[in-house]
Amino acid sequence: MLTDKQRQKLEKILDTVDRPSRYIGGELNAVSRKKQADDMHFAFCFPDTYEVAMSHLGMKILYDILNNQSDTLCERVCMPWSDMAEKLKQEEIPLFSLENKVPLYSFDIVGFTLQYEMSYTNILHMLELGGIEVLNRDRKEDAPIIVAGGPCACNPEPLSEFIDAFSMGDGETAIVEMTECVRRGKKAGKTRKEIIESLSEIEGMYVPSLYNTSYNEDGTIKKFKPIKDNAPYPIKRRIEKNIETLPFPKSVPVPFTQAVHDRIVLEIMRGCTQGCRFCQAGMLYRPVRERSCENLLDLAKCQVASTGYEEISLSSLSTGDYSQLEPLVKGLMDEFEQKRVSVSLPSLRLDSKINNALKETSRVKKSSLTLAPEAGTQRLRDVINKRVTEEDLMRSVSEAFILGYSSVKLYFMIGLPTETYEDLDGIADLAQKVSEEYFRLPKGSRPRGLRITVSTSNFVPKPFTPFQWAAQDSLETLIEKQKYLKQKLIKIKGVQYNWHEAELSLLEACLAKGDRRMTKALYLAFKDGAMLDSWREYFSFERWQKAFENAGIDMPFYANRERDYDEILPWDLLDIGIRKNYLKRENERAKQAIQTQDCRQNCNGCGLQKIPGVCKI
Amino acid sequence: MKMRCVYSIDKSLRHVGHLDIMRTIQRALRRSELPVCYSEGFNPHILLSVAAPLSVNMAGEREIMDIPLSESVLPETFLNKLNESLPLGIRAIEAHTKDDKAKTGMSQLLACSVRYEFLEDAKALIAAIPAFLEQKSIPAIKKSKKGEKEYDLRPLIYNLSEEGNGIKALLALSEAGTAKPDAVINALTSFAGLEETPYYIPVRTGLFADKFVPLELA
Repeated sequence: MLTDKQRQKLEKILDTVDRPSRYIGGELNAVSRKKQADDMHFAFCFPDTYEVAMSHLGMKILYDILNNQSDTLCERVCMPWSDMAEKLKQEEIPLFSLENKVPLYSFDIVGFTLQYEMSYTNILHMLELGGIEVLNRDRKEDAPIIVAGGPCACNPEPLSEFIDAFSMGDGETAIVEMTECVRRGKKAGKTRKEIIESLSEIEGMYVPSLYNTSYNEDGTIKKFKPIKDNAPYPIKRRIEKNIETLPFPKSVPVPFTQAVHDRIVLEIMRGCTQGCRFCQAGMLYRPVRERSCENLLDLAKCQVASTGYEEISLSSLSTGDYSQLEPLVKGLMDEFEQKRVSVSLPSLRLDSKINNALKETSRVKKSSLTLAPEAGTQRLRDVINKRVTEEDLMRSVSEAFILGYSSVKLYFMIGLPTETYEDLDGIADLAQKVSEEYFRLPKGSRPRGLRITVSTSNFVPKPFTPFQWAAQDSLETLIEKQKYLKQKLIKIKGVQYNWHEAELSLLEACLAKGDRRMTKALYLAFKDGAMLDSWREYFSFERWQKAFENAGIDMPFYANRERDYDEILPWDLLDIGIRKNYLKRENERAKQAIQTQDCRQNCNGCGLQKIPGVCKI
Repeated sequence: MKMRCVYSIDKSLRHVGHLDIMRTIQRALRRSELPVCYSEGFNPHILLSVAAPLSVNMAGEREIMDIPLSESVLPETFLNKLNESLPLGIRAIEAHTKDDKAKTGMSQLLACSVRYEFLEDAKALIAAIPAFLEQKSIPAIKKSKKGEKEYDLRPLIYNLSEEGNGIKALLALSEAGTAKPDAVINALTSFAGLEETPYYIPVRTGLFADKFVPLELA
């Protein structure tokens, strides 16, 4: 724990920093017990600010699981804001956990969740602030074992010099096995290196120090080579067959300060059958697995009673595909309407089912309706396999206006493969039609204050998607497209246009598709002060350009280059269960703008059907 | 009926802002299943009126809030249920039933008592108190969005004295005038000729109505 002197300094620091309550812990339902001698001490690290961390369901699930294990204590650690980070350094206070104020360096295991690439520099800062050597090879025998998991672990190479072991796939049972493995190793008196290597015996775990990569003259990968005979190759993703029986928290810590998403989140379903070709989550979380309606109603009751939250959000990749959506939403509303708890449904697809759900949820509070057509024309939607039509969209919007929703958010991507300016025109046309639909309603019967928010993100090709070989649009092209859209959208009544920074998307593509050589650029950018990169006020593209240059690697090589089918990709040493042939086939169909149907209607042969007992469709 | 509740905010929560404390209490009330009342409108919230927001960095030993209830509840029941639901660091201490039409604590409030707990040597500061209070006026500057305004702090300080190794104060706190605890200690610091105030934690120890009657009894 921090010393008394450090605690006193901390009190002083907290008087001066922005939003001090994010550093104090002590929230309702947070773990309050102290570490016992036999405890494995796990630091769950979220490499972004507290407000973001406390909105994240995965952390709450794993925190709950670890703390329900005997002789295990899990505490949370978040990335401090820059003012706090600076003060901690100045006063020589190591980064500490929220619960017991324990310095990061004195935990047994330090685990990071990898949710988005732009949080990578925060990981390096958290290690450094926490008194841990940033590079794997520099760590001494008494250093904690550094692990990481989450969606970005599907291409772990850019972090392979900083993280000792990665966990790929579902984390619920993996995290327990990992903790037990470290416990056994320590008890048996194994060295740190031996313990790390033994982690590779756990299904889904990748220990980068057990592999070598060699390169061709053109910079592409020549070969991966396991250094030890018993190192698994390729490393298979961990898949939980049944999520119904997996633990889910009955209570979660309730932050004092407002989190980004300040509400109960229930995971109703894992995986997605839609097969959108740009979507990494849609591939990574396969197959589709549902939690039952009864189970969810039970969990909702427990969480409302234990947290006092006033909103429940149903989480999945495609909420409308959940087979019991109507009974679930109705059940929740019947249970909680009197208690003024509202229900929100993110990730709805545009189809007829959602209208009933909308009617139910609007009984308490009318939130805004968020729709993601992703592309502006039917042709481009066919290319990306987002099987919604303009008709679907207009029907939902019209229904929502009648129900009293006045705020509609429309999400699109720009820079998708095969995109032309006609597709951009399509985005503006859609926004125009939504606006017209609103004004078509007579004044008395439409809600007041129309707000159509059009947001465009920039397409980032991601590993394990049919578009993994695709080139990202160049910076100049993306910026040009944003300008074009801006001047078109500005003229439409009620429309507001938001767009993502193109430089950030370029870097995201590099980090997402990078190989081991990326570690150097990441390290140099970190050394040069890069942190909180997903926050506009801190992101400096120049700093990253310099870091890439000094690392001797080239951004366009990673982001803007179309890769051949026979090129060895950095993530080819992992096997997520989806076959490359399926991804190729989907990519070819994309080029011809041919849709592929939802695999619940007919198996598309993604590869999971070959693993016994996994895919139940 | 209304319940006037005396509650405390520990030093461990002194860095939680007023609005966050409010939300925390509202959620506790929701969990307690006490018969609270809700506001009308788009985002219904639990009705609750805090007599005086506590500034960040301050702890409070006897804070006051009024909570309208739709059914009558015994004060003991109210206290038990609320305390079962509150997180560590916030405690409900007393509950007093009030008529629906009773004035709110906020409108009755005139003064507060404060204790400055020093973690660094404060002898020089304490020694300066008698002479500090003998001043006819203590000019101070109030900063607001509209700009800076000079005002006299002296009539707003009802009492200032040594307590243990620290200082206690009785200060005006009303719409007519307020002496902020840190403004008082800053004025004392410069009067004592010190460059920096020794480090302290301010604790509000009570809230008072007319004639210094404790607010919960007013």
